[in-house]
Amino acid sequence: MWLICCPVMTGDRNPFRGLRLDAVDATRRRFLTVTGAAMGLAVVGSLPGLASADGSAVELTQLPEYPFALGVASGDPLSDSVVLWTRLAPRPLEPFGGLGPRPVMVQWQVAEDPAFRRVVRSGTARARREGSYSVHIDVQGLRPWREYWYRFRVGRHLSPVGRTRTAPEPGSSPQALRFAFASCQAYWEGFYTAYRDLADQEHDVVFHLGDYLYEYSVGVGAGVRQQQLPADTLRETVTLDEYRGRYALYKLDADLQAAHASAPWIVTMDDHEVENNWADEIPEGNTPTPTRNEFLVRRANAFRAWWEHMPVRLSQQPIGPDLQLYRRFQYGDLVRFNLLDTRQYRDDQAAGDGSDPPNPGSLDPNRTITGAEQERWLLDGFAERSARWEVLAHQTAIAQLDTRAGADVIVPMDTWDGYVASRQRVLGGAAERGVRNLISIAGDLHRSVVSELKADYADPNAPNIGTEFVGTSISSGRDGMDNDEGGLTILAENPHVKFSNFQRGYVRVEVTPDQWLADYRVVDRVTVPGGTVSTRTKLAVADGDPSIHVVGGQ
Amino acid sequence: MKRQIAVVAGSATVLGVLTAVASTAARPDDDPVRLAATPEAVQVVGLPCLPSSFQLGMTNIGSADLYADVELAADGPVVLDRRLVSSWLPAWEPDHTVNARVGVTAPRDAEPGSYAVRATTHGAEVTVPVEVLPQPPKGSGDDLALGEQAVASSTHANFDVCGAVDGNTNSEQWDTLTGWNDGTSGVFPDTYDVALAEPAPISRVETWTLDSTRYPAARYGLRDFDVQVRVGGAWRTVHAVRGNTAGRVTSTFAPVTADAVRIVGLASNNRDYSRLIEVQVFTG
Repeated sequence: MWLICCPVMTGDRNPFRGLRLDAVDATRRRFLTVTGAAMGLAVVGSLPGLASADGSAVELTQLPEYPFALGVASGDPLSDSVVLWTRLAPRPLEPFGGLGPRPVMVQWQVAEDPAFRRVVRSGTARARREGSYSVHIDVQGLRPWREYWYRFRVGRHLSPVGRTRTAPEPGSSPQALRFAFASCQAYWEGFYTAYRDLADQEHDVVFHLGDYLYEYSVGVGAGVRQQQLPADTLRETVTLDEYRGRYALYKLDADLQAAHASAPWIVTMDDHEVENNWADEIPEGNTPTPTRNEFLVRRANAFRAWWEHMPVRLSQQPIGPDLQLYRRFQYGDLVRFNLLDTRQYRDDQAAGDGSDPPNPGSLDPNRTITGAEQERWLLDGFAERSARWEVLAHQTAIAQLDTRAGADVIVPMDTWDGYVASRQRVLGGAAERGVRNLISIAGDLHRSVVSELKADYADPNAPNIGTEFVGTSISSGRDGMDNDEGGLTILAENPHVKFSNFQRGYVRVEVTPDQWLADYRVVDRVTVPGGTVSTRTKLAVADGDPSIHVVGGQ
Repeated sequence: MKRQIAVVAGSATVLGVLTAVASTAARPDDDPVRLAATPEAVQVVGLPCLPSSFQLGMTNIGSADLYADVELAADGPVVLDRRLVSSWLPAWEPDHTVNARVGVTAPRDAEPGSYAVRATTHGAEVTVPVEVLPQPPKGSGDDLALGEQAVASSTHANFDVCGAVDGNTNSEQWDTLTGWNDGTSGVFPDTYDVALAEPAPISRVETWTLDSTRYPAARYGLRDFDVQVRVGGAWRTVHAVRGNTAGRVTSTFAPVTADAVRIVGLASNNRDYSRLIEVQVFTG
């Protein structure tokens, strides 16, 4: 990795003027000191140094066609840095987005105002074919808890402007945090109307909790989208070019682009970014990649494409089929987010991966959904008690969800119900370490389910240890309804479940030292464009009291 | 874990990342990718629903894992369903070959003859001979539906919509995707349409539903279905089949000039899916 420093430009009506490409050669370490301004550092996160000897390495500084068709994004905010992302793709659904083989130089700017009058950081990155012409700029030296605006440029083409925001200074005490979380966006099952609503709000940060794309064919006509798309979109994604093409298709959506441009995102992944219900090195079975070796190659391809298309740091770049996905984000002493990875290290789903009664597999104390190392990392973090609200931001429900009416208890084997010992260790571990307010946010279910968390659901007197806010899907599952039979059953069978809804949408949260307030935004219809978004309910948790309170909207 | 960047420059640049201490075994790190095609040659007919394909095999015989881009190009009238296969290629011992399917078609007006598909990556190339075969006869006594464009109300993800016009009526080969299975369990009706190359005075349709030793028609085949023909843009039922338990149902009717045939699946014997092995259309 290279550190590049760039001149800080102020008061220039054309902020890109005078930036000489040869002054920011990313193949050499270079530091330019700038009088009267803090030194700007950026870690350029495209692939490390390919110094090819032939003409394919000579950079382009111009492109004939508009290359920002996939929008811009920022992510993984720290108190002094944030990652900026774009992928050049003049023809997004063609191989390499219609580019190649030569690298393309991309200029970037960060400003304190949306008009770019006060540009505080800028630089140039090299977009390479090896990274499908994506760039990841890890902008350094920003001020804490500040809004910034950013944009990219190639030649005469300017990208859309993105808004981002840094995290607060470590140890500070922010008075409020406003964030949103979303998941599950099958392209062919619905329009991304919920993202338009999300983009219209100002969030400090947005979480994506998985199933950003699906490996499946989008189908002839792309379902509700009614689009005629290239044949590549009809194949299940297995190879790297296929995953890249599918990300390009999803990212062409204007509402998704607007949501990315509206705030920094912190992104995890669930199963469908690779394939349905994979577990560590074990494929789903009955797929194009039924063996371990075939699946590991597929996993490497899927991880690689995920990294290329997400605003994440070099530390999240996969090494073959391995990816460091779990990580933490701190918002002063108010909130800490623990982003979990419950796919890469889990034991295979118990009892054949369906819905079953609790069984020897799901109850086996030696089985895990997090893996031992991540669990230790999580529990060690709990012991630090670094923030008033300790949040688990992850894939699927921790709470027990009995899905069968009547005396039988039938629970899904793919959620934490299939890994009861993990639930006991993590929730029990939080209680033992004196975590003040434990909150889980998750997706995966395509329904909203708000629950009180207990370490042992078999014990009717078990205390609440925390609360869980599962958010519904953006589009997966089509329109839905207020509560289907499954939702009514979950409400009736699980006294710890306090709210259920089966529409599409996302969740907004406002956290203060005294209260966690979740706003469940739902869309009346996603199978047509332009649906109406409204608040279905608001649910609160008070500091020190792990119980759910309805405060409005029902 | 020691990591090392291996770089191969060229028109298809390859980046490799060693995931283990560099091997001292005699594994070539210059041009470590080997390409192969299975089968080594393919035949294709210039009909819309007789797709052909080969598996492109990519093997990294070097000591460093790498990402490879294999570019595909066809000459003459041959059409490919992809122009690029990119994949991570691990340097595992023993060698691991990554396979990707490449679909091959030819347009109806393709000149029969010998052509080729070339797959290239840095330092490796494989040429796949493609023979475009003459069109099958579509006269009196011939199956007019063979290889013609099929469209279905839905198709199960494990199946190809072209499976019931591929000329294979053998239910014992159901597992090789030689049939069509709709994609909506328990939901009827299902439709399976075949558009003929041109309007023809048809008088017989042979409907082959799943009927194998393991999956007998009486349990898994279509029970109730309508055979329809399209005349002037409107569907007309020429045979309503009810209570069927046979694998093959022959529908004969007064000749009618139609440009498409539709099977409307109303119920199967186990009430889940419509399953067709083949639909054949004749003028005589």
